[in-house]
Amino acid sequence: MIEFENVSRVYEGGITALKDVTLSISPGELVFLSGHSGAGKSTLLKLIAGIERPSSGTLTVNGHDIGRIKPTGIPFLRRNLGLILQQHHLLMDRSILANVMLPLLVTGELKSEAEKRARAALEKVDLLDRSDTLPAALSGGEQQRAAIARAIVNRPQIILADEPTTSLDRESAKKVFDAITFFQSAGVTCLIATHDDQFVERASRVIHLRQGQLTGTSSSLTPAVTA
Amino acid sequence: MNNWLRQHAFAFGSALNLLRKGFGNFLFNVLVLSATLALPFAGLTVLDNVQSISSQFAVDPEISVFMGLDTPREKAAALEPAIRRIVQAESRNVDISFISREKALESLNQKSGISDVIATLGVNPLPDGYLIRIGRNEGNTVTFARIEDIGKQLEKLPNVQKVQIDSAWIKRLAALLRVLQSALIFLAGTLGLVVIAVTFNTIRLQVLTRVDEIAISRLVGATRSFIRRPFYYMGALLGLAAGTVALGMVALALLPFNAAIADLARLYSSELQFAPLSVLPSILMLLISAALGWIGAVLSVNRHLRLIG
Repeated sequence: MIEFENVSRVYEGGITALKDVTLSISPGELVFLSGHSGAGKSTLLKLIAGIERPSSGTLTVNGHDIGRIKPTGIPFLRRNLGLILQQHHLLMDRSILANVMLPLLVTGELKSEAEKRARAALEKVDLLDRSDTLPAALSGGEQQRAAIARAIVNRPQIILADEPTTSLDRESAKKVFDAITFFQSAGVTCLIATHDDQFVERASRVIHLRQGQLTGTSSSLTPAVTA
Repeated sequence: MNNWLRQHAFAFGSALNLLRKGFGNFLFNVLVLSATLALPFAGLTVLDNVQSISSQFAVDPEISVFMGLDTPREKAAALEPAIRRIVQAESRNVDISFISREKALESLNQKSGISDVIATLGVNPLPDGYLIRIGRNEGNTVTFARIEDIGKQLEKLPNVQKVQIDSAWIKRLAALLRVLQSALIFLAGTLGLVVIAVTFNTIRLQVLTRVDEIAISRLVGATRSFIRRPFYYMGALLGLAAGTVALGMVALALLPFNAAIADLARLYSSELQFAPLSVLPSILMLLISAALGWIGAVLSVNRHLRLIG
């Protein structure tokens, strides 16, 4: 499903964000990306989402070669991905329902059908009663759950979450992870970049990054194995 | 096809929503653009009316028919019934005068003051001829095109050497209209650029205030077209609204203008009224206005989406 083969990402000025990363992620896995700030976790997720391109190596996502995909193909790649970012990236002048409907409307889905599916997604993250509320009226945890609802409304094959529980209290963070693991249990591949190791036992695999390099992988219950 | 229509309907709805949110700004922009468009629309209205009126101006045109120099007097004189038949087919109010070559020479001597020069010729160089004056036919006017037809028929008569239509004033008017037309094209082109520039700037502001929305839409899989379409529709709607207001402004301006024109025309025992543009030209003008708005939006969106990455 996701294949990194000697992938590097070098920014202008020669700053290396990822170096020679080789890894494979199978369908249905819940993978945590672990590492300090600047380790390359966000870059790895951005590469998978086609927000950035590898400087070298080959990255394949759902059969798409990210290095070669045309700009016109990127939107269609993203329709099979659910993105949950650190900043919730909700439209602040639209209701939660309208925010969650957006990924469906961009595909040309009927408004009535989009609304139906958006309400179902909000129900799954326990936010249906807040659907007509503006994001500013929600807590940080609720906003993040709304972002999760938006990420899964399109029934993606992969969910990418970048620090989804930053600045959330333990209870809110738990609800966010509960929501993500719910979709993983339904067969969605989930990649979560996080500092938060309190829920690491839920992961099927933890990938450790340091200064852009893969330093090891471990199952949630075993210590890291040096790559 | 359904999906394509749905996407366009969604984009149109989004554009209306954007306009509704900034309705005050939209109205102000419509006012600016309609004032810009009103000028060429007014010019077009005037030109259209003048062209229409000039093609049926109430005039008493004169046609001079010259015989060959060697045409005997009795044959020249015998042409009058044939001439009358041709001319009266267009107008019953006709004055046909036979001008003998002697009378023509006498008239030339009196008017030109070159009698000495003519006297040195020793012979009369002028032919016999007819002077035809065509008046109004029961209030209806004879168009210039019909006068030309009459001229062509007269040329075919036996012994007729030349037919001359006094059309200088019509030619002058046609030349003046051509100048007006060129000026109008220049004016319309220049002001069309102004419309594009104003729309460009309006859409630029819309794009810049929606950077977050654009970024999020891209993240959830929106195509370039999906992001751009609402702005295109917005530009077209802006142009269309401005065109509609401009047409209304010109129609309103005609009311006092027509009152003044009617006073002037009355002095010449005539009736003259300028009409607003008819339906088809009006629709064309609205389409052009919408197209100018669309072009401004396309240029703006292309430029600013590229700049914000």
